[in-house]
Formats: sequence, C-alpha cells, structure tokens
Amino acid sequence: MEVGIKNVFGSIGEAVTKGEGKTKVSMLIMGFGQMLRGQILKGIAFLVSEVAFILYMILFGAKYCSKLGTLGDTVTQKVGRKTVYGDNSFLILLFSILTVFVIAAFILLWYLNIRDNLNQEKLLAQGKSLPSNKTVFESLFDKNFDKTLLALPVTGIFVFTVLPIIFMICVAFTNYDKNHQSPTNLFTWVGMANFKRLLSFGSSGIGSTFVQVLAWTLVWAFFATFIDYFLGLAVAMLINKKGVNFKRLWRTILVLTIAVPQFVSLLYIMKLFSNDGLLNGWMMKLGWISSPIQFWVDPMLARITIIVVNIWIGIPYMMLIATGLLMNIPEDLYESARIDGATGWQMFRSITLPYMLFVTGPFLLTQFTANLNNFNVIYLLTQGKPQSIRLAEKAGSTDLLVTWLYKMTVNDTNYCMAAVLGIMVFIVTAVVSLVVYNALPSVKDEEGFQ
Amino acid sequence: MKKKILVSFLAVLMVLGLVGCGKKNYGTGEIKVWVADNVVEFTDNQIKSFMEANPEYAGYTVTIEPVGEGDAAGQVITDVTAAADIYAFPQDQIARLVSAGALEVVNPDYEADVKKNNDAGSIGAATVGEKLYAYPLTSDNGYFLYYDKSVVTDPSSLEKIVADCEAAGKNFYFEVNSGWYQTAFFFATGCELTYDTDDNGNFTKANVSYASDAGVVALREIIELCASPSFQNGSSAGEATNVGAIVDGTWDSAAVKEIMGDNYACAKLPSFEGSDGKTYQLSGFGGFKLLGVKPQEDENKLAVCDAIANYLASEEVQLARYNEVGWGPSNIKAQGSADVKADEALSALGEQLAFSIPQGQYPGDYWNLATSLGDSVRNGEISASSSDADLMAALQNFQDTCVSYAK
Amino acid sequence: MNKSYKKKQARSNVIAHIALIIISIIWLFPFVGLLLQSFRSYDPNVEYGGMVDYLIPKHFSLDNYKFLFSGQTNFIRWYCNTIIIAVFVALFQTLIVLCVSYALSRMRFTGRTFLMRFWLVLGMFPGFLTMICLYFLLKQFGLTQAGAVPGLILVGVASSGMAYYVCKGYFDTIPKALDEAARIDGATRARVFVMMTLPMSKPIIIYTALVAFMAPWCDYVFASYVAFGHDESYNVAVAMTRWVWTNDYQGYFTRFCAGGVLVAIPVTILFMCLQKYYVEGVTGGAVKG
Repeated sequence: MEVGIKNVFGSIGEAVTKGEGKTKVSMLIMGFGQMLRGQILKGIAFLVSEVAFILYMILFGAKYCSKLGTLGDTVTQKVGRKTVYGDNSFLILLFSILTVFVIAAFILLWYLNIRDNLNQEKLLAQGKSLPSNKTVFESLFDKNFDKTLLALPVTGIFVFTVLPIIFMICVAFTNYDKNHQSPTNLFTWVGMANFKRLLSFGSSGIGSTFVQVLAWTLVWAFFATFIDYFLGLAVAMLINKKGVNFKRLWRTILVLTIAVPQFVSLLYIMKLFSNDGLLNGWMMKLGWISSPIQFWVDPMLARITIIVVNIWIGIPYMMLIATGLLMNIPEDLYESARIDGATGWQMFRSITLPYMLFVTGPFLLTQFTANLNNFNVIYLLTQGKPQSIRLAEKAGSTDLLVTWLYKMTVNDTNYCMAAVLGIMVFIVTAVVSLVVYNALPSVKDEEGFQ
Repeated sequence: MKKKILVSFLAVLMVLGLVGCGKKNYGTGEIKVWVADNVVEFTDNQIKSFMEANPEYAGYTVTIEPVGEGDAAGQVITDVTAAADIYAFPQDQIARLVSAGALEVVNPDYEADVKKNNDAGSIGAATVGEKLYAYPLTSDNGYFLYYDKSVVTDPSSLEKIVADCEAAGKNFYFEVNSGWYQTAFFFATGCELTYDTDDNGNFTKANVSYASDAGVVALREIIELCASPSFQNGSSAGEATNVGAIVDGTWDSAAVKEIMGDNYACAKLPSFEGSDGKTYQLSGFGGFKLLGVKPQEDENKLAVCDAIANYLASEEVQLARYNEVGWGPSNIKAQGSADVKADEALSALGEQLAFSIPQGQYPGDYWNLATSLGDSVRNGEISASSSDADLMAALQNFQDTCVSYAK
Repeated sequence: MNKSYKKKQARSNVIAHIALIIISIIWLFPFVGLLLQSFRSYDPNVEYGGMVDYLIPKHFSLDNYKFLFSGQTNFIRWYCNTIIIAVFVALFQTLIVLCVSYALSRMRFTGRTFLMRFWLVLGMFPGFLTMICLYFLLKQFGLTQAGAVPGLILVGVASSGMAYYVCKGYFDTIPKALDEAARIDGATRARVFVMMTLPMSKPIIIYTALVAFMAPWCDYVFASYVAFGHDESYNVAVAMTRWVWTNDYQGYFTRFCAGGVLVAIPVTILFMCLQKYYVEGVTGGAVKG
C-alpha cells in the first residue's frame, strides 16, 4: 500500500517537474496530451468526463455538499395558505454522499490521465508508436474485455446497493424518524445516540428487547437450518431407497412447494393454523380439543409452529440437493460396509453423513445466514406477532431482526433505529459467517474427499 | 395622453372586477384522491357531478385510487410529495399525519360550517390542538354487538353471551388485543386514558388512570373472557368462522347479515359483573372517518382541493354514501334522516355511543402497547392465577409507558 | 437367511411407501385446500366468500374466477405487470450474471479479488435497510407509482451482478484449455465468450433465468413500497395480499384463493418443465457454494 501511494505521488511529481508541455496542460485540461498525440478517442473521453464533472459540481453537487454539516437549516413555512418547503435533509444527505463519490472518482480519473500522459511520453521517447484509436477500441473486446463486461454491473451495484447502504449507515447517526421527516421537517446529526439507546437496558433503552429478538433470530436460524437439513436428507434417502417405486412422482409432489409463490402458500397456511382456522375447526368438531390451540397466539407455540411450517418449505429444497449428492457416493463403499455386517444406521453415520457434511458445509453456512434474514416465512405467517408488554418498539415474540427492521421502516418510519438495526444484522451475519467458515471441514482439510 | 392612461386604468379596473365577480381562474393541474376500494366508484361519480356544477375548476383532472383508510396514513407519511392530495383516513392517524406535515388545516371559509354541521365528537376527532385539520366523513367508527338470535338469549349480559356460545359450540369474537376494542373494559370500570396535543400534533400530556383498582377489575374481566373456549380474538366478520356473537362495527353489517341470515340481530354492548361484584356497562371508543387535504405549494390548487373535500363531506354526499354503502354520517342533519334512523346496526351503535367516549388523539405507539397488553393476556403471561399485585404491576408498567409517549 | 432378508426388505419397502404417501398428503394439503376453496362462491345467495371451517365447498362455482376476469378489479393488469417484470428481470439479470461470471472466472485483472470480497460483504447487509433510499432514488428518475413497473425491473436487475456465485462456479468447470486454443487461433475474448462459452452453458443460463423469473411473483415488500397509491402499477402479490390483510376486503378470501391458483399455475408449469436445470443449478451451487 505504501509503495502504491509513493508511486502515485511519484508520478504526479514527475509530471510536474519533468513532464513536457502537453502533459502539464493535461493536468488542467484532461485529455489534451492524448489528443495532440493523435489518440483522439481517449482524449475526448477524458475531456468529456472533466466537463461533465465540472458541470455536475456547479449545477448540483456544490449546493448539497455545502449543507452536509447541518443537513439543512431552512425550515418549511406557510405563506398565506401555501406551503413553501425548506431544505430537504434526505436529499442533502443522499446527494452529498453521491458527490463525495463523484469527487473521488474524478481524482482517480485525473491521476489515470496523468499517468497515461507520462506513459505516452515514455513510449514516444523510446521511439515506439502509440496504439491507434482502432486498437484501443478493439482491446475492449479482447484484452480489456473485463472492463466492458463489468462496467454496467459495477455501476448498477454502486448506485443501487453501495450508495444506499452508505446512506443508511449515515442515517444511523441522525435523528431521522417520524418527527423529523423530509420534506416538512429537518433531521440532523446526533452522533451515537441511537446506538446508545439500542444497547442501554434502562427504561428508555431497548437493550433487553434487542437481546431477546437477537436470541430468537439465532435460535430460529439454527433450528430452521439443521432440522430441515436432516429431515431433507432423510426424505431424499427414503426416495432413493432401492425398491421404492414412482421416485419421480414423490419428488415432483415435494417440489411443488418451491414452485408455488410463497405469498400464496404461506398466507393460506397462516389461515389454516389460526384459532378459527380449518385445523382448529376440525379438531374441535372431532372432539379432540375443547378450545382452539393458540398456534399464533402463544409465543412458544407460535415459534414452534413457524419452525414446523418451515420444515414444509425447507425439506423439498434440501431433498433436491441431497438426491443429487447421494448418487455421487460410490456404491462399493456401502457394499464393503455391508459385507462387514454394518447396519443401516452405522452406514449412515460413518459414510453418508460425513460425506454430506463435508460437501455441503458451505451450503449449510449460506442456508444459516439466509435463515437469519428469512423475512418471508416470518412475515407472511405471523408478522412478528404475538406482541408482549415486555418488548419495546413494537417487537413481537417471533420477530427476527429483519422483520423488526422492516416494521420500523414501514409502520413506524423510525428510519434511524432501523438503520442501527441493519448495521447490527450485518455484524451478526458477518461474525457468524467468519466463525463458521473457519471451522468448516472443507476449508480446513481441502484434500478430504476429493 | 391623459385619455390613454384613463383607458388603461379602466381596463385594469374591469379585469379586477371580473376576478372579483368570482369567475376566478384556478389554473390547471391534477388532483389525486385516495378512498377505500368500495367507495371508489361512488366518489368518482360524486366528483364528476361536482365538477360539472362548478365549471371554474374545469382545469383540474381528478383521479381516484383505491387505498384503504388503514394504509393511507402510512403511505402518505412515507412520501408526502407522492401522496394523494385528498385522502380518507381513520381518526387515530391524525396526530401522526399533522406532525409529519401531511395535513393542511381546513379552509377558514368552510371551517365554521363544518363545525356547525357535524356532531361534536367528529369535530373533536378532526381537531388537533386548537386547529381543525380534517373534514369529518362518518361517525360510525364505533363498535357494538352482533349476535345470532338462535344462540344468544340475553345480549345484555357478557356472562350469559359467553355461556350461550359455549353451550352452542359457537365462537364469540372480541378483539381484546386491539387498543381500540380493549378500552371497552377499562372505560367501563371508570379508567381514563386521553392525551393533550398542541397545534403541531405533538403530545403534551397523558391523562391515564389504568393503574388503579378499577383497572385491575377491567383486566380481570378480560382475562376471564379470554379463558372461555368460545372466545376468539377478532373483529372482522369476513374472517370469522362459526360465529355466535361478534363485537364489530357498522362496516361489517353486510358481512354479518350474510353469515347469520335470519338470525341476524344487533344490540349495544353487554354489561358484565366485575371481580368486585359490581356490574359495569361496557364502554369503548366512538370513532370517526375523516377526509384530509395535503399541504400544497400552489394556493389555487389548495382552494380546489378544499372545495372538493368540503363537498365530499357535505350533508347530501354523506347521505348518498349512506344509501350506497351504509356508512353512518357525521353530519347532524343527515343523521336525522328517516333512512338512517331506521338502520338496525346504526341504531345499536347509537345506543352504544351513549356509553362510549369520543375518540381523541392517541400516539401511534399506544395502539401497539395495547396490543402487547392484550397479547400478554391471551398468551398467559398474565392469567387468572396472577395476584392483584401482579396485575397492578403490569398496569403500572402500561401506564408509565403511556405517560412516556407525551413530552 | 436370504429369505428373511428379503422379507425384511419387503416390509421396509411397504413402510417406506406408507411414509411417502403420508408426506405427500401433508405436502399437497395446502394446495388442494387452496384449489377447493377457490371454487366456493362469494355470492351470498350461494355461499360465503370469507373464512369457513369446512374444506369442501357446498356448491361448486366459478364465481371467483369470473370476478377476477370481469374487470371489477385490475387483476388482469396486475397479472400482466408481474409477467412483464418477471420476463425482463429474467432476461437482463441472466445477461448481467453471465457477463460478471465470465469476467470473474476467466479474466485476471487488478481488483478482482477485492471486488469479489467486497460484494460478499455487501451481501451481508439486509436488503430492506435500503428501501427508503431506493424509493427516493427511483423517484428522482420518475420510476415510482405510475412508473413503478420499469422501476422494479431496474432494481431487480441493477444489483444482480452480486449473484454471480453459482454461474461462476459453473464456468470454472469448463476447461480453460478450450479458451486458450481458440485464442491462439486468433479469436478475441468476446468471441470466445459468445461463440464458445455461452453455448456450453445452457443449464446454468436456464437456471439463472428461472430463478430470476420466479422471484418477482413473490415480491411483496419492495413492490408495495414503490408502487403505493397507484393501483395499476401493483403486481399480484401486492394487490392480493390486501384481500387477506386489509379490513376493507371482507369475504375476499375465496377470491384470494382463486387468484393464488392463477398465479401458481404458470410458475409451476414452467418450473416443472425446467426442473432438471433447477436441480443441477441448486446442487452445483450447494457443492461449490
């Protein structure tokens, strides 16, 4: 890294001290040197981006950036019966961040421009000729094909993922909530106040609620992942069993759950299990129970019901994966074990399971992190309910961190706390991934089964 | 020269005079209206006839979108600039809307008439601080009892209703985990829960007395009700099954009629015998639907919006709306019409309103807090075996949290 | 010995079949229920459209389906919106994923590992976090409410580059020697990609497109956030969940079931036809994951 910085300043210094006139002019008018040396295409590209940058800053960037410190101070007013909106803190923050990135990108481009000039100078000094415009263009489909391929996707990810995430991280340090909402009201920086609130356990803090939601999130992810994994494996082995007919039919039936959109199937199941739903209705008609089983009301029962319903969703997926993998296990391993008199269970424990765990280790990890953030199942089934007076900020007993975050955003417009929660979700996911990844057998022992 | 000046002066005067005559130019623009799905067509027709009768507003095109009243407030707050210019919402959202800058005060030209023509409760609901922020649409947002005549023999006693439903194997629906229905018990025993607001929709003070002996009696009654096998938590007839009785509002009267057929009947809420041996009449909220106008950057457009909203909330439209979809009017004259008076559900509601409290402003958090309290009862965190001290502690916690919402 | 082994085998087979039949019943039950309820009329003169505690309708009726196509709601419009979004997202997302995967699998450039790690880290942020920001970004381009359909396509496509994992894993298994040989013959990278790699990648292309196609059918969260207040821009999920969750729609439950059946049919048929590729993609992804 240090060498890199030295190089950067080295070449800038070189351009200032030793560079020829064209290069020095290029420091002000980008692309000037390239154009004079006949590289019209490259030169124009540099020049256009410089002009675009200056226009952007004058017309757009500067006016937002100047207010970044306070996030706006002109308040909304009434003139007669008409409303005159003041500063929009939201747009100030958003476009300021964008502008910071634009400036950074421009500095990089400016540096590339200088370096390119120096390179050209050197090539010419050595008596070599510069690549023609045509070659430069064609290289975009060969040597530099990666730039062509990645330009659009990287831009897309930057605008629609990176920028919003950085924006929301910033929001975590503001008081952007229902009382400070653009465009009518301003919001401003409040430092660490939101984090303090999340992690304080007093009456005004929501620490204990956060801990409970976090705990349930982890417990849920654990059960949802492993129960589905083993049951899915079991079903796959059942279907794969020698002597079982209609293998395709069984698989197709199970796979239906993946094909039917969840908002249809899960909403139906939600109604199925409700107190006045079909299931309770039947059991009461049959006289099995005298009062309805409170599937979605009792916190513990609701959690168990969710895990059970999730089995219904998870097994088919795991079954598909396991079916493919089970066929990869060499049959002679089982044969020799059978000759040694091993029982089915022993064979499972010493051959099937180790192989599966080894091969699907990374898959289990991604499943686990996906379950940490499994919004659909929880939200469509319970929306986080039942609530309890012991939980703050409208959290419910089956709320995961993400569903809680969602409710804060949509129902409460408590964006600053939602942003803090989002950062917490990130930390939890990252820590779990890091710890588990390093403990994976396939990472520790790459040779293993290969 | 002088003549010329005189002529132009006269011309200016004439133009001013024309404007003064009321043929003001309102310019052009688009106005978006959000109302519930089942009144979209009705509202559309009403606005069309209004625009025909008032050609001075012809520059504006009005579009109507079905957005449920429950969803409207949340969506308006998400992005005020993209929201509808005129939208209907239940009154419990008004303070939140005002503090988010999503409601304009009622046009002073109409204010006096609106206040005079609608019942006092609805005006109270549309007022935040000292300012009138919305046009009342209905006064039927209260609840009462629907019951099946073949199941319930005596609708005046909660204990008997529950016993009848149990005996018949039918369900009794009462949404005790909703802050709206729950107050039926607490207000019945004499507990108080109201908030004071300032002009900007901020809550300044909470007046609450849940943590009292009366509160414990009410909570015990809720616990007792929840323990019945026939009890179901719910208030939406469309989703209810095997109904013996349901505490619900007028908006579901059609659905209840469908379910109960000839055995359809309604009454005011029953009374119950509390744990202290006294008898209490269930109370609750009387609520209102309101029509709001969003703040505008163009004064002309605001005037047009105000005119439309005022029209949609007027006596004849309220009456027409009643005839079309059965919404009980807030307009005093419309309430007095023979049709409205003959309505079974509305008269049951009218009876109940004598025992209800007009719903004022409540912070959004209250509704969730109440749901939490109700859920805690339903899931057994608070049960019949809890001591009075436990119940008092839970209510004290509830009350403290209520107080903490007002600053 | 042999005989008793066979007997045991036969018995365990019977048990296995019984177990599978029970499993099938449990797994099919919600779908059968959905289908049956969709044939219960909502017309009060015939039956009742809300929740009931019996499964089989007393009268068979197509009222719910008639309602959906009658134009009383924008159902057809919602359905078309969803199809349009799904088709375009599938198309562009597949293109982008292929481009990114090829670049990351075949080319070595500065910042390659950084890019991969950076995207991995980005993926750990919950998606809902940025909803409000995305909404206002789209609004700047006029792609909310009335423009929500193209807006949703844009958001669905924009960040799809991050989902390169399975596809890159597949490309990694295509021998590099093939590329090298073609390059020696004078083919450019672009040519190799289009003429050689893509034709060999049919399974992964179909897998990527299929997964991308199925996602928008389920998108309630973001779609409702972007399209709010504009009925004509809703997709089926946004429009129909209202029938279950909002009190304005009493007795719409059977109509929801009918709509659900109509939504499930095309996706299911497509999925069943392409199931083979899906399994291949999922399994490959899991192993290399």
